[in-house]
Amino acid sequence: MHPLLLANQLIMLAGGIDGNKRPLDDSEKWGVTLVGLGVVIAALAILVVVILLFGKIFDQIDKNQKAKASAAAEKKKPKPAPAPAKKEPAPAPAAKSAPVPAATVSPVPTVSAEDDEEVIAVISAVVAMMSEQDGKAYRIKSVAKSQRNNGFSGRSAWAMDGRRQNVSPF
Amino acid sequence: MLQILQDILSGLFETSGLAGLAAEPLKLLMMCVSFLFMYLAIVKGFEPLLLLPISFGMFLSNLPAVLPEDMIFHAAYWNEPQSVEWLWKVLHDGGLLDKLYLGVKLQIYPCLIFLGIGTMTDFGPLIANPKSFLLGAAAQGGIFFTFLAAGYMGMSAAECGSIAIIGGADGPTSIYVSSKLLDGADSNLNTGTIALAAYTYMALVPVIQPFWMKLLTTEKERKIKMPQLRTPSKTEKIIFPVVVTLIVALLVPSAASLVGMLMFGNILKESGVAGRLVDTAQNALMNIVTIFLGVSVGATCTASNVANWDFIKVLLLGVVAFSLGTCCGLGLAKLMNWLSGGKVNPLIGSAGVSAVPMAARISQQEGAKADPTNFLLMHAMGPNVAGVIGSAVAAGVLLSVINY
Repeated sequence: MHPLLLANQLIMLAGGIDGNKRPLDDSEKWGVTLVGLGVVIAALAILVVVILLFGKIFDQIDKNQKAKASAAAEKKKPKPAPAPAKKEPAPAPAAKSAPVPAATVSPVPTVSAEDDEEVIAVISAVVAMMSEQDGKAYRIKSVAKSQRNNGFSGRSAWAMDGRRQNVSPF
Repeated sequence: MLQILQDILSGLFETSGLAGLAAEPLKLLMMCVSFLFMYLAIVKGFEPLLLLPISFGMFLSNLPAVLPEDMIFHAAYWNEPQSVEWLWKVLHDGGLLDKLYLGVKLQIYPCLIFLGIGTMTDFGPLIANPKSFLLGAAAQGGIFFTFLAAGYMGMSAAECGSIAIIGGADGPTSIYVSSKLLDGADSNLNTGTIALAAYTYMALVPVIQPFWMKLLTTEKERKIKMPQLRTPSKTEKIIFPVVVTLIVALLVPSAASLVGMLMFGNILKESGVAGRLVDTAQNALMNIVTIFLGVSVGATCTASNVANWDFIKVLLLGVVAFSLGTCCGLGLAKLMNWLSGGKVNPLIGSAGVSAVPMAARISQQEGAKADPTNFLLMHAMGPNVAGVIGSAVAAGVLLSVINY
């Protein structure tokens, strides 16, 4: 089709095609196709630009608000903070060697050990149930964590559940 | 005495459905087709919320009746020129389904369905990644290339537009466009057959799309993982519907009704201050309109409208439209992947056809098949909801270009 003819037809489309017209000219068919697709892409491309701009504006506003909030927090903090720091430089190292830090560190392994014990207890119960059903005796020799046992690149059950909750409405 | 009894019985038979069935045996065939659709809806679970009302409406309108006043639906009314007298005739002499069908003819139901969809749609993934709009636009290629194909099959402009819009994979939009374009048009097609084809293919998205997705993408591309999307603020989500409505209405005013109602529903949801309205729109109103829309659209599938070659053409072009839409979306997504240096999984492109959220689910499923640790759902929801806006804009363009 000659480009000028197509251009002419595109201009004619502004007036519209009769709905009952049959068959359509080549220029009308191609005209509707090209104009239609062009208008849809243009309209949505404009939306892309506008929404991107809005996103940047809101990001900037967020950053400014966070900066203001942190600046305000810093303004409040320095007044009480330097005073005890200057007055008590010596007790600080003393506190490190004291039993207090040991007490704050110790709960971490204690909690995980409890978790492990609970997990082992659950596994033992399952094994005991299996042994009752089978009539065989089993012994747990070791329990080790598997990184990819769930097929989800080592995500925790909580992370997986959170993700599931997010995507389930769709 | 015997003669009187015989006359009464003969009179009863002549006005009964049995005589009507003998006069129009094709009605029996249409009832069988409606049973097939009921089977697909109930047993196979193909879009049952829509296919069941549609199929039962089809069954009701094909029940044999001889006297016009006994008919639940009068197909002949809807080919007449519309006027005040015509409206009075429909209201006064029409059957129940004629009166319900006015909601389709007056384009009320599709817009109310869009309102309900708006209250259920989260545009967050689209706001977080606005480039998804382009995938939603590309998938509308299915509409316009099908227009071209229908044109080459010798169809009229109104028929081309009505069939092409099936490629948008959006039932209410298909009904909206076809009810306007085919109103008073010299055509064997009608809104019912277009809606039937559109909803049938929407139910077949899990069958049609994976074929093209596997054909047009490589295993390596399907395994591409996309980074987590940012979470848009509430203010962004509230401004979004206003901005979209404004821009679309300025560019394509014919799409303002559909997009406006979609965005009205969405702002109700995102504002967080109209919980009761949101609840009504997404549950009670949506269900009521779906029942009325389904049963009245199904009623238009009478023997004269469906048992013809043109309906076969609609079905053929419908699958072409769906496939082209999927391929166009996949094509642009592949291009975006190439331009971004392998950061876009092309599978999300097929979600650009609207069919929300089915098309996005298919992207997720195909991605997970290639790599179980791949989560594409939220990335695919962006193009998916962009497709709803895109198909409404495409509908507006068709209505602007074709005089009806």
